[in-house]
Amino acid sequence: MRRTALLTLALVALTAVAAFAETCLSPYVKGLRQPEKVMYVWTLPAREGADYLSVIDVNLASPTYGQVLRKLEVGSSGNEAHHMGFTDDRTKIWAASLNTSRFFIFDVSADPMSPRLVRTIDDVPRLTGLSGPHTPYAIPGRMLVSMASGPDGTGPGGLAEFTNEGEFVASHKAPNHPYETVVKPEFNRMVTSSWVPQRTFMSPLDKWDPKTLSDTMLVWDLKARTIVQELKGDPVPLAARWMLKPGATYGYNISNGGDSLWMFRMQKDGRFAYKKVADTGKGCLPGDLRQSPDDRYLYVSCIGASEVQAWDIGSPEHPRLHDTVGGIVQANMMHVTYDGRRLYVTNSAISSIDYSPRYALRLIRIGPDGKLKLDPLFTVDFAQAPVGPARPHDMLLN
Amino acid sequence: MRRGPRALAAILVTVLAAPAAAHEAPPPGPASPLTARPSLSAIRAAPDLVLRDVGGRRVGLADLRGRIVLVSFVYTRCTAACPLLAARLARLQQRIASLPSPSRPALLSISVDPERDSAADLRRYAARFGADGSTWRFLRDDPARVRATLLAWDEGTRPAPGGELDHPARVYLVDRAGTIREIYALAFFDDRQAWLDIQALLREP
Repeated sequence: MRRTALLTLALVALTAVAAFAETCLSPYVKGLRQPEKVMYVWTLPAREGADYLSVIDVNLASPTYGQVLRKLEVGSSGNEAHHMGFTDDRTKIWAASLNTSRFFIFDVSADPMSPRLVRTIDDVPRLTGLSGPHTPYAIPGRMLVSMASGPDGTGPGGLAEFTNEGEFVASHKAPNHPYETVVKPEFNRMVTSSWVPQRTFMSPLDKWDPKTLSDTMLVWDLKARTIVQELKGDPVPLAARWMLKPGATYGYNISNGGDSLWMFRMQKDGRFAYKKVADTGKGCLPGDLRQSPDDRYLYVSCIGASEVQAWDIGSPEHPRLHDTVGGIVQANMMHVTYDGRRLYVTNSAISSIDYSPRYALRLIRIGPDGKLKLDPLFTVDFAQAPVGPARPHDMLLN
Repeated sequence: MRRGPRALAAILVTVLAAPAAAHEAPPPGPASPLTARPSLSAIRAAPDLVLRDVGGRRVGLADLRGRIVLVSFVYTRCTAACPLLAARLARLQQRIASLPSPSRPALLSISVDPERDSAADLRRYAARFGADGSTWRFLRDDPARVRATLLAWDEGTRPAPGGELDHPARVYLVDRAGTIREIYALAFFDDRQAWLDIQALLREP
C-alpha cells in the first residue's frame, strides 16, 4: 500500500515536470524546457536549386528575431525536403527526402545556430529495400524511419533502422505505406500510420491511384519489431500522437482522406481499440496533428480549409472543437513550444499537391484559455525569399 | 512540504529497489510490456574500453570476449536517473547469479564524472547497490582516458544546472562476439526485459 502511494507520488511529480516540455518528439529525445532560440526549417526551392535547411532566429530578445539567418544547402536538388527528426541525444538532425530517398545528417551540437551537414546517405533503397522516407524517429542510439514503399517506389514499405551516425542496421517490412511513428516505451508498443507509395505521392494529385491509398494503422511490438495488430479506419491516416502522461493508454491520429480525428486505445488485454471521435469538417484535409504539453488540447491543421483547429480533449473520447483560426492558406506542418503558448505553422505540403504559392512560416499565439490568435507581426515570407520562392515544410526548435 | 529532486530520487529508489519478486510482470504476451523474442539486430561493433575498477585493476572489454556484457554510464552525484538504473542493475545481478558461472554476463558501470568520482566514491556507490565486484564492476580512470572512452561510445557529457551532468545515458548490451545488440534508454531501462534479452543471446549458438 505504502509502495503504491510512493509510486503514485513519484509519477505525479514526474508528470508535473513533463507538463512543461516540448511535445511531439520521440520520448527518447529530451524536449526543450526553455524558450526556443533557433528554428530549423527543411526547405525546398519552388523553382530550381538545392534543397536547404533554413536557420531562423526565434529568440524574442534578439535583434534579428524572425529572420532567416542562413540557409544550408545539401548539394543536390529535386529531393523533396519533407520531415526531420532529432537523434536521441539531440546532437544531430536527420532530414529525409521524399523523392530521392536520401538522408541528410546535420550536426547541431557544436553550434546550434550554425548546423553542419556531416553526412549524406544516397543509396537508401539499395541498403534498405525501401523508398519514400517520411519521418525519422529517434530510438536509443538509432533512427527508425518510416518508408512508404518498396525500392522502386511502389508496393508496401516498412521501417528502416540506422545508427545515429548513419550505418544501416535493419529493415522491418510492413503491409502498408508507413507515414509516422509513435512509441510508448512503458508498454513496449509502437503505432505507425500510413499513406501512399512514393510513386503516388510524387504524382500530381489528379493522377493519384485511389487503389494505392492506405487506411490502416499498425501496432508493433517495439522490442520484437513485429506487427501485432492492424487497425482499419478512414483513408490516409497521417499524423499520430500518443498522450504524454506516463502510462497513458491512448492517442489520436488524423485521417486526411476522411476529414476525421481517430482515437487508438490499448485495452486491458493488450489489444487496441480504434474509433472515429470527431469530424474535422468537410474539405479540411487534415495535414498535421499536434498536442499541448498538458494533454488537454490537440491542434489540427487543415490543408484544404486553410485553418488551424484546437480540439479540447478533456473528455478524451469526445473531443470538442474549442477554437479555430483561419488565414493560413494551405496550413500544414506545426510545432508547439515547451510552454504550450506558441504554435508555429508552415504551409507547403508536397510539391505535387500544393495549390497556393504563398509560402510562409506563421505563428499562432495560444492563450491561457486555449484560444488561438494569429500573430500579425510574425511572418517569414518564403514566397519572397531573396534566393527565390521556396516551400517550407517540417520544423524543429533548439 | 516541497520535495526537491533529491527527495524525489530517494522515493523512486525506495520504490524501485524493492526485491525483484515484487516486480514480476505477467509473462510475455499481449498485455505485458515484455517480449521473449526481441529483435536484437547487430547494431555495430562495441568500441573497446580499458579502464580501472575501484580496486585499481585494469578491466578491458576485449578481455571479456565470450561473455555478454551490459555497459552503462553513470556518476555518483546524479540524483534521479542513475540511482534508478543502479537499483535495476542490482536486480539484474540477482538474476544473473542464477546462471552457471561460465555463462554469467558482466555488468560494467562507467563513471562519466572522473574529476569528482574518486575510486572511494565509486566503491561506496557500488556497495550501496550491492555490486558484487565480480559480475558487476564500477570503472573509472584518469579524465583523458575516460573522455576518449565516452567519445568512442558517443556518450559525451555537458554540465547541467545544480552540478549535474547531461549525458545520453544509454545502456549497451554487447554479445559474446563483441557486437552491440541492443541500446536501452536509461529512463526506460527494464531489468526484466534486459534479462529476457540476455537469455535470447545465450540461446544463440
